[in-house]
Amino acid sequence: MPLEQVVQLFPALADLPFREGYIRSIIYVSLYVSVTAVTLSTLFSLPVAMLMGFTDFPGKGLVKSVINTGMGFPSVVVGLLVLFAVSNQGPLGPLELIFTKEAMIMSQFVLATPPITAISLAAISGVSENVRDAARVLGGTRLDVALVVIKEARYGIATAILAGFGRAISEVGSVLIVGGNITGSDGISKTRTLTTAIQLEARQGRYDTAMVLGAVLLALVLTVNAIVVRLGDEGAMR
Amino acid sequence: MPIQRRKFIAAVGGGALASIAGCSGTDGGGQSEGGSSAGVTGETLTLTTTTSTYDTGLLDAIHSDFEEMYGVTVDAVAQGTGAALESARNGDSDVVMVHARGLEDEFMQNGYGINRRDLMFNDFVIVGPENDPAGIQGMESATEALTTIAESEAAFVSRGDNSGTHTKELNLWEAAGTDPGGEWYQEIGGGMGEALNNANQQGAYTLSDRGTFISQRSEIDLTILVQGPIEGGPEILSNPYGVMAVNPGVHDNANYDLAMAYIGWITSPGAQDAISNYEMNGEQLFFPEAVSEDPNFQQYVPEGWSSDSSEE
Amino acid sequence: MVRLSNATHAYGDETVIENLTLSIDPGEVVAIIGPSGVGKTTVLRILALFLSPTEGSVTFDGRDVWSLSEDERLKLRRRIGMVFQEASLFDATVARNVEYGLRVRESWTDRLRDELWSVVGSNGTPAAVTESLDLVGLADKLDQEARSLSGGEAQRVSFARALAYDPSYLLLDEPTSDLDPRNTDLIEDAVLEAKDRGIGVGVATHDMHQAERIADRIAVILGDGIAEFGPAEQVFENPTDERTAKFVSGELVY
Repeated sequence: MPLEQVVQLFPALADLPFREGYIRSIIYVSLYVSVTAVTLSTLFSLPVAMLMGFTDFPGKGLVKSVINTGMGFPSVVVGLLVLFAVSNQGPLGPLELIFTKEAMIMSQFVLATPPITAISLAAISGVSENVRDAARVLGGTRLDVALVVIKEARYGIATAILAGFGRAISEVGSVLIVGGNITGSDGISKTRTLTTAIQLEARQGRYDTAMVLGAVLLALVLTVNAIVVRLGDEGAMR
Repeated sequence: MPIQRRKFIAAVGGGALASIAGCSGTDGGGQSEGGSSAGVTGETLTLTTTTSTYDTGLLDAIHSDFEEMYGVTVDAVAQGTGAALESARNGDSDVVMVHARGLEDEFMQNGYGINRRDLMFNDFVIVGPENDPAGIQGMESATEALTTIAESEAAFVSRGDNSGTHTKELNLWEAAGTDPGGEWYQEIGGGMGEALNNANQQGAYTLSDRGTFISQRSEIDLTILVQGPIEGGPEILSNPYGVMAVNPGVHDNANYDLAMAYIGWITSPGAQDAISNYEMNGEQLFFPEAVSEDPNFQQYVPEGWSSDSSEE
Repeated sequence: MVRLSNATHAYGDETVIENLTLSIDPGEVVAIIGPSGVGKTTVLRILALFLSPTEGSVTFDGRDVWSLSEDERLKLRRRIGMVFQEASLFDATVARNVEYGLRVRESWTDRLRDELWSVVGSNGTPAAVTESLDLVGLADKLDQEARSLSGGEAQRVSFARALAYDPSYLLLDEPTSDLDPRNTDLIEDAVLEAKDRGIGVGVATHDMHQAERIADRIAVILGDGIAEFGPAEQVFENPTDERTAKFVSGELVY
């Protein structure tokens, strides 16, 4: 999309500190951080959800409480906790993660895991025990049975992942604190996401520009949702 | 069906690849062909500063010179005065640039900051609605203006966020001998831009740094009622900026070499010229202070410090 | 081929089956009959090598199953097929359901390759899948969603699913209790077909007439765990136990 035409359509964009590549780079950072965080979280949450759904272990009730509390945990508080961890003074200090995308991925991992786990758990619990027995009896190993369960619960799990992604990509509190909202002098974002860019425009009173970026974020989320739903429909049509 | 699915997947995959290929810009100036300073090339300097400094766009305009000269990247983190100093205290940044002398002095006294230099200054202005309900237009004393506002209980917006600007505002009230409070005095807990917007909507007064006011002037209907020293107003409204390196004796991971290179560069005649040439909406925003024929020892030590009064 | 000897199983204090001896050989149909709740399912689970008896032994081709390693046991388990009272099909096409048993027996690299191929386009259906579906008369429903089938069709697919990987013996737990006569016929025909192929079939049922129709040997399990096990005509006409005779003729009501 030629930038000049877009700026004509949205004069508010002329106020942005940079042009070429700036918006693309903040979209890239937003997606890179959130997609990575949600992927890692899914790899972690699905086994946890299956453990919770099919086995009993000491402390299970505690884990459930933690997950439910985590659903409503304010993102800025998570940011502070991760800051304490990765700051030079914190236990992970030597890894020099402060003000990096990796620290942002960490905090979004923490934010996305409770919804992904809880919603996946609900979906997985809905898979009937008979189906699991059938998978087992037909010669499946425990891993095979787990894969069958995931496939049976796939729509619920997709919802869970979308919920986690929504939470991650739209949050601003934690990525601002641990990322530092950094953009290079060449206009390419290092740790600036769509949400922190919006915050930057808003704090300077440039509300029009902030709204435009907000629209971009919304379009991004809608696109991701549409892709996942479309893939789901394709599956159903098979 | 399977054919449709294949095309769709190909489209999604191709689109994803194309956008990623287009998106990955270089991660800063680390690979530039500037002259190499052995030892620091390719490194990153973390600078923490205030939001009002960063939001003027000055740093983004001048940093590329430094980055090319040394082949490094500067990560400028705009956090707000308190957070910028706290990050430095924790060893999360290498160099800090703020405009709150009292806090800078404390920072030095506690051993966190060394090699301080006066960098540049601009000023604060008191702005308000054109109809000026409290009648402070053109006053030559900022404290008198504030007292007048308090007495007439004209609406006043305060940032209320412990930023450099907010600290200056509180110092002014104290110097005026007035304790602000009541319905007319509103603390919003927000940035300068928000404060200006807020004041604009209500027709209220507020204290603003000149830079932010200039950059927003076209969008708001407020006007400068009491000038700062740049335009002949009282000295008390001056807003000096300082830059300090984080003490490697306290944080051995601090990139001291590069921090000193940065301070050396930004206080050099070349960069100071660039600072004075930086304009927003056609007006100069900052006035360089670092280059001077006359000695200025006070910039290196906490204000009022002298060797006679030292505790050692 | 598979043999239970003096098997007893108790859940805690409750003894479900006691001192049972029965076996299934290749190419024969063994009906396990008895009133509901008497423990037929437990017997089948033991025969499927999923449950170990609290006393007694289970042997497969002469080897004591429960003294083997878990891996060895898994290998033996994979030579067994089972159909439950409820079809329990996966939320996928009929073809993928029937394919499942074949898939899990492939090596991981082969499986991965097959999964990728099936995402990108359609690879052909394995012959075993079409054959088993043919046996139950549903070869035309390959690409239909399993969840859209009627109860009878689903149960037939379940049968095909268990048959597809050519098990040594098949276990059926009340396979036709929920079905109409036509589907019951189709299943019973399929059972006899499987038997002709040399597969051993164990069928748990409370339907005497079904046992009459298809069984070569019958094991009768009554409430107090005593079993009678012998050729079908003998059990029906000349049982060794009185109660068996009464049960078979419908006199005993449990």
